[in-house]
Amino acid sequence: MVLQTILLIGLVCSSVLAILFRDLLKSAIALAVGSLLLGIIFFRMDAPYAGVFEISVVAGLITVLFMLTIALTKGGEARESKAISIAFPAFFIVFVAIDVLIMRKLLQKIPALAGPGETGTFGQFLWNARTFDLVGQIAVIFAGVFAVLALFRKGKDNDE
Amino acid sequence: MNNVWFVYMFFVAVLLFTGIYCLLTMRNLIKLFIGIEVIGKGVSLAFIATGLANKSMLAAQSLVVTYIVVEVSLVATALALIINLYRKTRSLDIRQLAKLKG
Repeated sequence: MVLQTILLIGLVCSSVLAILFRDLLKSAIALAVGSLLLGIIFFRMDAPYAGVFEISVVAGLITVLFMLTIALTKGGEARESKAISIAFPAFFIVFVAIDVLIMRKLLQKIPALAGPGETGTFGQFLWNARTFDLVGQIAVIFAGVFAVLALFRKGKDNDE
Repeated sequence: MNNVWFVYMFFVAVLLFTGIYCLLTMRNLIKLFIGIEVIGKGVSLAFIATGLANKSMLAAQSLVVTYIVVEVSLVATALALIINLYRKTRSLDIRQLAKLKG
């Protein structure tokens, strides 16, 4: 659990850096590092499929999409006010203190839910128990593809 | 729930706070989206931690995989929208959007 806690702290640190960096490229890289750490955490929690998806899709594909967008919108950055970065540590410390107090109060007070008692492999579970999720995923992918196509459609404004 | 689950939930809450702080205070559209991604990481971690505690890891993993697929679609669409907005307004400032009419 010690290594897991270190990884979790690293995840929080990289997420905090991702929102505090003024350079968007550095923010995107910090976010990718966070995804990589989350993927390793998933592997260590016996969730290899979620880990693989997190590392390949979120740390890889989404980071590339972010970098592409940052490159295409160069020069239009809205500078964040310095007060936000300065005030963040104070709010963060207060929140962490409240979080510790609440978690200590709730310790052992939330009853464990009865698990369904799963058998078989991940593939079998995904195909048999979550078939509608897969249909939904296909629909969402198509919706995303058509939305991007519609947004980049050549119109009168883009022809010049 | 066991004690390990509370440790994970502590970190989930911290990630959610970080993302929400970003959404409430930042002005850059890409930064706001990074905030949404941070919240998403917290949600994924909550799913897997609860799956671990309830010994229903297959269900938790399938939910996370579904969430990641939805997230990719969302990110692609939202970033395309941001690029289009940048072409129109030449700025990524969220306050510029308040001036849009139509």
